[in-house]
Amino acid sequence: MRSSTRAVRGIAVAAVLCFSASTATAQQTDTRAASPTARIVSAANRFLATLDQQQRSNLLFAYDDAAQRARWSNFPVRMTPRAGLKMGDLSAAQRSAAMSLLSSVLSARGYEKVQQIVEADEVLKTSERNNPMFGRDLYFISILGTPSETKPWMLQFGGHHLAVNVTIAGEHGVLTPTLTGAQPALYTLAGKTVRPLGQESDKALALLNALDEGQKKQAILGFQVGDLVLGPGQDGKTIQPEGLKVSAMNAKQRAMLLDVIAEWSGIVHESAAAARLAELKADLNETWFAWSGPTTAAPGRNITAYYRIQGPHLVIEYAPQRLGGDLSMHVHTMYRDPTNDYGRKYTQ
Amino acid sequence: MRSAILAGTAALLFSVVTPAFAHRVDEYLQATTIAVEKDRVALQLRLAPGIEVFPRVLALIDTDRDGAVAEAELRVYAQRVATDLSLSVDGARLPLRLVSSRMEPLEALQDGRGTIELSFDATVPPGGENRRLLFENRHQRAMAEYLVNGLVPSDSTIRLGAQQRSFDQSVYRLDYAQAGVAAQPPSIPWSTGIFGWAAAALLVFAGFFSARRRRGFAGA
Repeated sequence: MRSSTRAVRGIAVAAVLCFSASTATAQQTDTRAASPTARIVSAANRFLATLDQQQRSNLLFAYDDAAQRARWSNFPVRMTPRAGLKMGDLSAAQRSAAMSLLSSVLSARGYEKVQQIVEADEVLKTSERNNPMFGRDLYFISILGTPSETKPWMLQFGGHHLAVNVTIAGEHGVLTPTLTGAQPALYTLAGKTVRPLGQESDKALALLNALDEGQKKQAILGFQVGDLVLGPGQDGKTIQPEGLKVSAMNAKQRAMLLDVIAEWSGIVHESAAAARLAELKADLNETWFAWSGPTTAAPGRNITAYYRIQGPHLVIEYAPQRLGGDLSMHVHTMYRDPTNDYGRKYTQ
Repeated sequence: MRSAILAGTAALLFSVVTPAFAHRVDEYLQATTIAVEKDRVALQLRLAPGIEVFPRVLALIDTDRDGAVAEAELRVYAQRVATDLSLSVDGARLPLRLVSSRMEPLEALQDGRGTIELSFDATVPPGGENRRLLFENRHQRAMAEYLVNGLVPSDSTIRLGAQQRSFDQSVYRLDYAQAGVAAQPPSIPWSTGIFGWAAAALLVFAGFFSARRRRGFAGA
């Protein structure tokens, strides 16, 4: 009887130990799963597992492939070819896994913005009599390096008006350089009005209107700026900043400026975005805000002015485009870190 | 009739494949960056013609009208662009040297996505600590969309100051400071150079006679 009691106790203790051990393992797994980089790597591996050998070979590039790294543009893919896997060539399951990977590197708002840009291209395709140059099938995904929680690698997703370049280096997630754009910049989908880059427009105009006359005089440039200065192909350049220095802004204006910046810095997943915004906040006194063009906008429409926000670790440009006839309906934007494009700070 | 059908088909294909939505149309973008160094200024021009103006730009480059652009033709065009540019520092006009010229394939330029890249540089004569650069671009003004920006110098002893531009960015002025430069007499503008040379010649002449007189006294 005693021996059987001991045996039961022993089994109970062993069970408790096993349970504790399994709980600890589960907690460790959860901790790893809670790490954004771990989640991203898992999503990348799930996507890779859906591909055949040829597709993997098309998707993967060497991490130091400089040509692929710079193979992005505002132009449609038929005009400026991209490499990697085309969305239109993937099965439904592969496409879903690709989009899961993309959503894992982006914030919810960032992913929504990307989807709205892609949908704008689908709207453009339809409005252009099903023009094969446009549409959601013509976006490419590629990976430079091997998805890893420790070693750097890069995810690219882009096509017309979109180039998302995210470098993952350990816990760091670097979104620069990234190009966003939209045409049409305002459309209706399922009865809902969509402006993919509407916040970038509205928040900047609100900031301009919050400046006093003296500040406006400095912020508003006396010349026209017809296009992006540091767009595709302009890697590695740092231009002289101009406009109004943020050190001359009050607390409310600074908060408004940070809110504008967050429209780009917040595209990447939340923990990387928080680190990035903290870096940019620390730079605020050395950051500049410049505006060129009309200082008003029609209600519910985008601005038709160019603006630039530039600091030691930041260049944001918002450039309406004449092509298509209506400046408020076609915009290109650029987001860079002159010291850390392609995450070079963490990879050199 | 057959040619009309072909022309109609080509027009239809063109309208489907290259609508006026995706690219530059009736402007000739000319984006210049200016890098200031201690004794040199480097200009980089990125020229991007829109699809409607490209035939006019091509006519300037393809001078033998064979539908292709030879390297020599591109170099000649680059020199032609240079004659439409002017660069001066502290009032002295600086001659531009062509460093490189590169053009993307014709088909890329034809659909408004290609660029022509030209690099020039110029030697900057020594001057004072505070300097003023003036740049003007008059190339194909009627269709031009100009951009011009100073690049942050890689040399930490050079600090860029105010940039001023005309409304269309065809004229650009940049003030910059060069630390650690001994104060120099102001450089003589080209237009007054002949007087400068005459003054220098007189000084050399006077020095020569003075030396001969000293030697004569020493020998006496």
